Amino acid sequence: MTNIAPAASPETLIQMKSVNKYFGNFQALKNINLEVKKGEKIVVCGPSGSGKSTMIRCINRLEEHTDGHIIIDGNELTDKVKDINAIRREVGMVFQSFNLFPHMTILKNLMLAQRLVRKTSKAEARETAMHFLERVKIPEQADKYPVQLSGGQQQRVAIARALCMKPEIILFDEPTSALDPEMINEVLEVMTDLAKEGMTMVCVTHEMGFARSVADRVIFMDAGEIVEEAEPEDFFLNPQNERTQKFLSQILTH
Amino acid sequence: MIFDFELIADSIPKMLMGIGLTFQLLFLSAILGLILAVLLLLMRISGKWYLSWPAQVHIYIFRGTPILVQIFIIYYGLPQFEFIRDSIFWPILREPFGCAILALTLNTGAYVSEILRGGVLGVDRGVLEAGAALGLSVRQKFIYLTVPIAARLSLPAYSNDFISLMKATSLASTITLVDMTGIARTIVSQTFAPYEIFISLAIIYMILTWVFQKTFGRIEKYLSRYVKPEGLA
Amino acid sequence: MEAVTGWWDDYFWGSVIVLQVFVCSLILMVLFGLIGAAAKLSNNRFAQKLAAGYTVAFRGTPEILVILLLYFGSAITLTAIAQVFDPEVKFVDLSPFWSGTLAIGLIVGSYATETFRGAFLGVKPGSIEAARALGMSNFQTFVYVRIPEMWRLALPSFGNHMLSLIKDTALISIIGLNETLFVAKQAIGTTGKPFTMYIVVGCVYLGFSTVITLTVMWLEKYGNKHMESAR
Ligand SMILES: Nc1ncnc2c1ncn2[C@@H]1O[C@H](COP(=O)(O)OP(=O)(O)O)[C@@H](O)[C@H]1O
Ligand SMILES: [Mg+2]
Repeated sequence: MTNIAPAASPETLIQMKSVNKYFGNFQALKNINLEVKKGEKIVVCGPSGSGKSTMIRCINRLEEHTDGHIIIDGNELTDKVKDINAIRREVGMVFQSFNLFPHMTILKNLMLAQRLVRKTSKAEARETAMHFLERVKIPEQADKYPVQLSGGQQQRVAIARALCMKPEIILFDEPTSALDPEMINEVLEVMTDLAKEGMTMVCVTHEMGFARSVADRVIFMDAGEIVEEAEPEDFFLNPQNERTQKFLSQILTH
Repeated sequence: MIFDFELIADSIPKMLMGIGLTFQLLFLSAILGLILAVLLLLMRISGKWYLSWPAQVHIYIFRGTPILVQIFIIYYGLPQFEFIRDSIFWPILREPFGCAILALTLNTGAYVSEILRGGVLGVDRGVLEAGAALGLSVRQKFIYLTVPIAARLSLPAYSNDFISLMKATSLASTITLVDMTGIARTIVSQTFAPYEIFISLAIIYMILTWVFQKTFGRIEKYLSRYVKPEGLA
Repeated sequence: MEAVTGWWDDYFWGSVIVLQVFVCSLILMVLFGLIGAAAKLSNNRFAQKLAAGYTVAFRGTPEILVILLLYFGSAITLTAIAQVFDPEVKFVDLSPFWSGTLAIGLIVGSYATETFRGAFLGVKPGSIEAARALGMSNFQTFVYVRIPEMWRLALPSFGNHMLSLIKDTALISIIGLNETLFVAKQAIGTTGKPFTMYIVVGCVYLGFSTVITLTVMWLEKYGNKHMESAR
């Protein structure tokens, strides 16, 4: 694997350098530079359409960036990356709409990728699955189908499913925005626990309480650019950029 | 109108002697048609023009023309060519049964392929992305996610097509095969009692339709166990 | 292909007959479909049962049986009636054209029943309420809101029904309607070229299907455009 970009420090898991992304003529990402070290928790926020999803989808190559460099755990994402799936299994992802496999029980949802990608034995996959279901506090739902669970439970299953792959990093794309208010906390709790255990996380969310208590850095995006990047205290109390101030005043007052 | 019930009682067993042939035509072409449909679908979604093109042409032609014309072209038309008569397929194409199976297969394959495509297109993109994000390969996503989900989505439309296929088997009677419809036509030409015979036969077909619909309904219900929320937690 | 020379005008007139059957059966299909849907949606139990029987019967029976039944059945019935008035009469039948047209109109009408019913129920109560809130009368709501919305919902299935009608026309050749398939049979008798003659028939039907498909696609596009601008 050719690595054109200069080597980052060993504990850097995600490195984005001058990344641009176009959809046709529309530029969704403009000169994105981001570095995430092992164990860091990053919260990304910004108005709808600002490119947050596009950015984190580029990190596991659900979208292909147009130019610039993205290096995940020392491997650069290029067309030539032979085994993108080897990289993807180190990068877990949790979606806004859960995206559980509807035709499989919860347990099967958790076992499928372990069996196919990690080539784990059935018994071991089941054990791992049950372990993480307990971690997200719903082991009793193992034999149900996704539709039989509430939204909050489904999202916790989705987190457990990502954890079963023992990833280095987990990406969250607005994991609580599709949830009824009373279910948001059960998901945030799981995420907070995960953060405490030292998981590397990049999390698109507008849950400011979560950002304050968990994030090492908050990133504000607007119109495809990273406008501001700061520690949570500074970010909320002393935003530098005008656009950040406007955004914060909007979400904090409502 | 006075119905000749004696004639009906006499004729129904005679017509039912053709049910074996009806079933042979139905099940054989349904299975072969399904295989063809999957092949056509794979060709269409292969992303290679030299595969997807022929598949699309096949579908366009066989959905755009009457099945009766297809049957006639294959049974009466193909023997016009000497190379067909000399080919290894001649033993099949010489027989009306082989021609009927071929025509029904090519026809239903085209329709079912479109149904399956609808199912594949109906699979939630997010689910496939979740598979990709977990590291599943393209092939694994297809086998473990797309196929089972698309199969369930396609089932209602497929069951309708299966019924259509059953009805189409009756056209085999136009190329000398004696299925139920063929027998009924013979009886009518001898007795000239179209009401008694054709209505009895229609009822037999309706019963078959009902049985198949119920069966497919069962399968659908089983496959949909994960769709309807029951005992929501 | 030279074999076809001399038969072109027969094929042409055969195609005209296909078109005539199509137009007449289309009208019948819409008629039966609307009556069936109205009966199913009505509060009258008897009408509901009747309509249910109609759809079950015609969707569960092979098309060719319906055609044969109507043709031969009408022949005996009409002959019997005619003989009451004039014992000299030997044979009276409903022409292949009309019995065939009626048969496929009835068959496809049974499918259209479900389409129209579904379209009627598919109109969102919201748009109706909104129209009423704007002060539209019952009648205005029906004409300006319900009908266009139903039309848009029914169009894709309606297109399929039209394709069924055109293709089912070929079945009427079995009772002697001189459409293109019938023409081909005669042409084969004199030329001995079955493949060529039937391929011409296939092309004629493929042409008709293509025109119908393109028309429906165009209408759908128009319908959706209309929807978008209305938003
Ligand atoms: N597949 C796509 N094709 C075209 N435009 C897209 C696509 N995905 C996203 N976009 C556009 O890119 C911009 C950023 O989208 P997104 O990353 O989803 O924003 P966010 O997640 O911040 O709401 C939006 O303007 C969106 O319309
Ligand atoms: Mg987003």
